Amino acid sequence: MWHITKREIYDNLNSLRFALTTVLLLALMVTNAVKHLREHPKRVQRYQDAVTESSDRLTAHADGSLYKLAQYGPGNFYKKPSPLHFCANGGESILPDTITVREPPVFATDAENNVILQGVWSLSYPDANLQNKNVGPNVSQVDWAFIIGYILSLIALWFTFDAFSGEREQGTLRLMLANSIPRHTVLIGKFLGALFSISIPFALAVLVNLLLISTANTVHLTAEAWGRLGIIFCLALLYTSLFVALGLLVSARVQQSAVSLMILLLTWVTFVVFMPSTLASIASSFSPATSFDEFWKQRNPVKEDLWDKYDEWLWSSKLDDKTLRGKSEFYTENAERDERWHEERSKYRSSQVYRARAITGISPATLLQHLIEGFAGTGFERHLQFVENTQRYARQLREFVADTDRADPESLHILGVREGTSKKPISPESVPRFEDTLNLSRDFNTAAMELLLLTLFVLVLLSGAYLAFVRVEV
Amino acid sequence: MMTLIRRELLDNLMTFRFAAATFIMLLLVVANTFVLIIDYERRLASHNDAVKMHQRQLQEKITYSAGEVRVDRPPNPLSIFNVGFDKRLGNEVRISHRVVPSLWDAGMHGSDNPFMDMFASMDIVFIFEVILSLFALIFAYNAFAGEYESGTLRLVLTHPIGRGKILVAKYMSAMLCLIVPLLISLLLSIILLTTSTAISLNSDDFLRIGGIILTSVAYLSVFYLIGLLISAATRRTSTALMLSMFIWGFLVLVYPNMILTVVPRPESPDALRTSAFNQIENIWETFDKERKHYLATDDFPGEDWGYELRGLGSRGANLMGNSQRLLYTYRSVMNFEGFGEKDEPKMPHAQKHFGFLGAQTIDAADRTWLIRKPALEEIFIQRADIERIYLKLSPVGLYDAATQAWAGTDLLGVRDFFHAARQYRQSVINYFYDNKVFESRQWFAGDKGEADWSGLPQFSFQRDDINTNAKRAIPDVCLLLMINVVLFIVIFLIFIKTEV
Repeated sequence: MWHITKREIYDNLNSLRFALTTVLLLALMVTNAVKHLREHPKRVQRYQDAVTESSDRLTAHADGSLYKLAQYGPGNFYKKPSPLHFCANGGESILPDTITVREPPVFATDAENNVILQGVWSLSYPDANLQNKNVGPNVSQVDWAFIIGYILSLIALWFTFDAFSGEREQGTLRLMLANSIPRHTVLIGKFLGALFSISIPFALAVLVNLLLISTANTVHLTAEAWGRLGIIFCLALLYTSLFVALGLLVSARVQQSAVSLMILLLTWVTFVVFMPSTLASIASSFSPATSFDEFWKQRNPVKEDLWDKYDEWLWSSKLDDKTLRGKSEFYTENAERDERWHEERSKYRSSQVYRARAITGISPATLLQHLIEGFAGTGFERHLQFVENTQRYARQLREFVADTDRADPESLHILGVREGTSKKPISPESVPRFEDTLNLSRDFNTAAMELLLLTLFVLVLLSGAYLAFVRVEV
Repeated sequence: MMTLIRRELLDNLMTFRFAAATFIMLLLVVANTFVLIIDYERRLASHNDAVKMHQRQLQEKITYSAGEVRVDRPPNPLSIFNVGFDKRLGNEVRISHRVVPSLWDAGMHGSDNPFMDMFASMDIVFIFEVILSLFALIFAYNAFAGEYESGTLRLVLTHPIGRGKILVAKYMSAMLCLIVPLLISLLLSIILLTTSTAISLNSDDFLRIGGIILTSVAYLSVFYLIGLLISAATRRTSTALMLSMFIWGFLVLVYPNMILTVVPRPESPDALRTSAFNQIENIWETFDKERKHYLATDDFPGEDWGYELRGLGSRGANLMGNSQRLLYTYRSVMNFEGFGEKDEPKMPHAQKHFGFLGAQTIDAADRTWLIRKPALEEIFIQRADIERIYLKLSPVGLYDAATQAWAGTDLLGVRDFFHAARQYRQSVINYFYDNKVFESRQWFAGDKGEADWSGLPQFSFQRDDINTNAKRAIPDVCLLLMINVVLFIVIFLIFIKTEV
């Protein structure tokens, strides 16, 4: 078996396609690295500036008083850019990278423009970036996901389309099978041979890419990032073996290598190029978008019942316990409603996206895209994680405010109202800070299903290739 | 000659590749047309919803200053062929005397899920881009190489036929074979289009589709000739096949996505932006000065811009700007339902003031546009145009650009809408002037007769006629044809020189 593998590799090493592949992959990977080195420092800088600004705001609020912190809340939240952005861009240009904290709404002012009723802060999830200012041409990013998903899979077919049909045409297949080698050994030998000969230029290109990125002092890769890169590399090999198996299967069934290449390319085009977008369109037509009228109704929710409910206390200027409590409840409920509406809408939208993702999962290219996004810490999954992180932090901060207030004996412990909350300034160090984190084990869990599916594809195709080859008459 | 063509034609028609090409093409085009029609119908429904909504919102406003006229860009039915910018750029824009609307002031009416944009969108031209080129190469790779190997070429050349004729015969017959699946699939998709009630195509649209077909044939021919060139140059089918596939992958997949990353980026035009924005700010500062000067020297002294009107309702005014979009304007909105007794004597003064303010605002907005237009052009459009030129270095980019122009979904086609919006703004302003809206009481109050929106001129956007589309598409189509001619000559030279 190793003999066959070795023979295959030597055969391929001398061929034109090997040279072309090496050049192509190197060019793509270098482009990718250069682009990352050019853009990533700017991205990190932007993030750090934004975080500093937001942290300053939190400090200012905390310095003011606990009431101010409770009313104005923290600064905006920013998504931490992933150091592995070059692996998968993951629609980052569409996904929002900020969750804004809404200023407390002013409900009423008196004649001199003095605020008499003002609520508390709430989270507001921004929409996807509608890039209606971008008038440039629309092209996909040259990231690893593109290079592996499109180019490497095409190369795999390119290496295997004539694996059996070519040998049959030359007659060497008969020669080989005349020896006392079992057919499955031949198949596995061919499989490994093709896989290795593709891995060599790919590994080379990846090495050059990583060398460029890691030697630049503007980008730092941590040990965890290297681990993730290793996983992504293994994923690439798994994905490539899928197409190698497909190539062997078709090549074993078809007599002429030209026909074999044609079938393979058409399959590839259908599954890799067309299926993701067509299936996504079908999926989005399943669940109709909310109509414009409904959208506006939801956006300007009728809050009158809330006003009626607390009418008794809202307009009184008394400072007794009941009035303050009534106002406080009105504010919190109002903020909660706002947040809930936002949350429900984004949940509805996420479920739409999830459905589309599940349906497009029939295409291995999409599976790979999602997996790489998952491990690179970009894409939709990461966006949801960021949203979750902010929500957790918002809860934490609200609890902290309540706890601190409880510790102040002078306070009436009615949050959200100036007269009811502690007016003491608090040390900014004691306030919990927001940190956006990436979690590897979590990524594993979400990716497990897709990984399984991809492995299943490979196994099915490999056994198909085996069956086809065993029954072949030479 | 005819015998040659017939022979080649039969050779091609009876093959597996012809059957596969037709089948796959039909399958992909028909399936996608279905999906695209559903998508178009949804966008059209969303557009109609938005139009109705904006109408109603306008009718509800009782004063002219609070009313916001919005116009919506209808989806282009030919976006099914090439979606271009139709989905990406803003589709609703506010028409107001305060600002001259442009592409950058447009919004999106938001009933769709914008997160779904993460998935690549698809159109019929994209299918052709990928599949037609592939088929052309598959038909071409063994045209000469195969005949060298099997020796039939020598046989053919022993007959007294010119080599040029052989080449032409090969080219003609293969192109005929390739056009068949293209035409059948397009025909089917057009039939599907006509069955949909939401889509109405006029004769111009059919001409546009004709233009798209013409461009597709030119594109097809470029790739067939590339394949033929490889086949004539390499003389071996396996090498020809391999090289063809490599070039296909490079031209269709790698080049369009890689080129924009590789070319150097132009400097970001911050200086230009700042200087233009400063000029615009100056205009509005002058405007503000004049406004204050008017108030100070008014025959009713000592009042603010709203004449301290107290009553049931709201008022607000501010100067606001956005340096990214070079937007600057003065916004004053008054929406009163009733006044106190003391206010009545102020009314004539207030009305006169708003008449003055309206004319001043329009003047300032028009002057702003004179600065803003070239600046926006240079900051956004010119850079994007340079990127487009790089993409056009490959036939794929040329094909995409030409079909976008035919369909009217290119940038120019979408910008036509904003041009129409600007003309509409002018007619709204004329209507306001003619009816003395700025000086009327309804400008700021609805207590004695509400604002009457029914007389407002109606907005209608007609896509430009076919001539404009043709004018925009012809340069790219000509380039495609030129590539064809050059390739043909090169192949002819190689073929003449080869020894059999």
